[in-house]
Amino acid sequence: MSEPTETSDAPAVTDRRGAYVRRVLADHAVHAAVVVAFALYPIVYTVLGQTPLGSEFEVFLPRVHAMVAVLYIGLFAMSFDFISGYTGYLSFGHALFYGSGAYLVVLTATDKVPLLGPDTPFMLLILVAGLVAVALALAVGAVSFRLSGVYFAMITLGFAEVAHVFIRNWDHVGSNPRDGASIGAAGDAFAVGVPGIDALQVGIGRLVGDEFGDVFGIGVEFGTAEVSYYAIGAVVLVCYLLMQRIIHSPFGRVMIAIRENEERARAVGYDVFRFKLAAFAISGFFAGVAGALFAGYRRTVAPGNTFDLFFTAEALLAAIVGGFGTLAGPLFGYLFNASVEGVLSTEPHGIARYLRDVLSESTLSAGAGGVTVADVINVLVDGRADLYLGIVFILFVLYVPRGILGTLRDRLGGHVADRLPERVRSRFRGRNE
Amino acid sequence: MTDAAVLSVVDVLVDLLEPTTLVRILLDALSKSALYVLIASGLSLIFGLMGVLNFAHGSLTMLGAYLGGAVMVALVSGSTSEPVQLLLFFVAIAATFAALTLLGGAVEMTLIRPIYDREPLFQILLTFGLVLVLDELARIAVELYGLQPRSDWQAALGTAPGFLSSRYTVAGVTTRGLYLFEVLIGALVVAAIWAFLTRTRYGLYIRSGSEDSEMTRALGIDVRRTFTVVFGLGSGLAGLAGVVLMWDPRFGASVPLSVETLLVAFVVVIIGGLGSFRGTVVAAGVVGLTDALMTWLFINHVDFAGLPEMVTFLVLVAVLIVRPQGLYGIAEVGGH
Repeated sequence: MSEPTETSDAPAVTDRRGAYVRRVLADHAVHAAVVVAFALYPIVYTVLGQTPLGSEFEVFLPRVHAMVAVLYIGLFAMSFDFISGYTGYLSFGHALFYGSGAYLVVLTATDKVPLLGPDTPFMLLILVAGLVAVALALAVGAVSFRLSGVYFAMITLGFAEVAHVFIRNWDHVGSNPRDGASIGAAGDAFAVGVPGIDALQVGIGRLVGDEFGDVFGIGVEFGTAEVSYYAIGAVVLVCYLLMQRIIHSPFGRVMIAIRENEERARAVGYDVFRFKLAAFAISGFFAGVAGALFAGYRRTVAPGNTFDLFFTAEALLAAIVGGFGTLAGPLFGYLFNASVEGVLSTEPHGIARYLRDVLSESTLSAGAGGVTVADVINVLVDGRADLYLGIVFILFVLYVPRGILGTLRDRLGGHVADRLPERVRSRFRGRNE
Repeated sequence: MTDAAVLSVVDVLVDLLEPTTLVRILLDALSKSALYVLIASGLSLIFGLMGVLNFAHGSLTMLGAYLGGAVMVALVSGSTSEPVQLLLFFVAIAATFAALTLLGGAVEMTLIRPIYDREPLFQILLTFGLVLVLDELARIAVELYGLQPRSDWQAALGTAPGFLSSRYTVAGVTTRGLYLFEVLIGALVVAAIWAFLTRTRYGLYIRSGSEDSEMTRALGIDVRRTFTVVFGLGSGLAGLAGVVLMWDPRFGASVPLSVETLLVAFVVVIIGGLGSFRGTVVAAGVVGLTDALMTWLFINHVDFAGLPEMVTFLVLVAVLIVRPQGLYGIAEVGGH
């Protein structure tokens, strides 16, 4: 559109445009706030780490490296929610799409995929991973969507398990397919950004990625984890906005109609089968992208953390804690789960090590009946995240079935993005008057 | 290339039709089917009556394996005679069955009862949370005891009497005594469940509840209490299966046993069809036979270790595509 020049309605046009921009900004105010919070996190983490309470913060806040996992597994959980939370069809084999994306990246890099050479740009690879997942989703969905309820969950699980067993035994993957495949630290990092323009790309990966020293001159250095965090975060943000756009489109309304009452949606005249299949394909696409991001960052894949039933369960847990059918909820849900796992981890940044370091020898060896404090820490704290997450999960299912974001929406009476700015505004106006 | 393929198929068939091969496969299929029916029957009862796909079923089997193992390891010493060992095994089965029936009943009353009126999804989710908690608790207990949670409990495996560990020749094929013993136990349990379902009052409630829960309630039967009883019995049966698996070198008591048996139970129950115990028994036979055939094929002809497991899941997928309601399920249930 060309700029209107010296006509009488020029102010009106800019006004209208201004109003549009303002509305878009208002609609996305909460999104923007969340993005800013995520963007500031590595800096805040570094700064807090330098305060006197630094070691306490390091125990309770997830490290940036763990936050990268929150991003790509969060994307996987959101893609799971896209199909399961919005159409009501529980995709219990969702790990199939994630796994195929992850294996595609690693196998391409080790030159084991026909047509794709090891120097394929990573951005293209992400797209191919998504499309492979779409093809798989269409094939699986074409037969699975004849079923519903528990039977749909079981047939998708069946397909994923077939792939799981296959990948665990496929010699082509590596010498020991049960351990998966790895690219190793040799070779270039996968680049995220604009393909072909080096200045607009950064390499991701914990060992081989790019790093920048002291960017803002405030003593904050961006290591490989931070750079990967921003690069992967950007891709995840784009994916989220795309999925959110689809959910809010007429297509998304039909998905919700299918969840609420499929018979009626069909009676109204929608070809529900096609809608379900398309939604499944879209969901598969983003799960494939998430898998590709995971493989690009970690440079190693194993059946256990890709195709496994328990990996789908990660998404399920995240979706329940964050809010089923809220799209953004699963990301926060996984953030919660990852934080709990981080705190209870056996690694040096876990709380078990921290307690052993901080508590005095006499406290550790104190106790009753032959059980010391140190024993309690070893048995009930060190690496026991599953126990507590399981309990939290059961409590959520029983008492907070709508999850964190779903409950927040109920309280606010609508989408957080719509309601929160309004609430804040009315609160401030109320004070001013 | 295709000629070679045709030739190898002919080779495989010729090899397969060898009498000793057939007997070997059939024996293997029988023992596996017996185990699968043990693993799946509890889930079949629960799923059939209540429509709850109990994800914690495998964890209960795993707990059963450890509990049974604990009883055996505590009571059997080097000087225990073989008949006494066998007797103690039935004591272990009874104790484990009782303990897990109580646990299952308690779980139903406290956790599952509040969410019957919600979507079936939530029951899957809740029992999944139970898997995390039970598996982690088992891991804690096992580590405290000084065992490796991931590897089989050798001491429990060692409590099997000698006449079960030794090999016998049946129709020209050698097999472990234990495998024949498992067939016996499987047949006994199937007969017991059959009698329970058809000869007792509760069995009648369960059958009628599985067919039409509303009508059953309308006739004045306390379906809620029936649910508790069935969930308890189903859990007890899961535990019983665990005790049997504890002696089997192909399984053994370990924490990963929980997922292993859960997937088997799902496959068998879904193939058999919702609410049909007959279906579960037939499906266990089908899956056992598939497994035995594919294991033989893998050992002799096909170099792919995942073959039995993969084909089992393919059978699940194929059955769901061709007969969504399962082999003996009621047609309308499969659709929704």
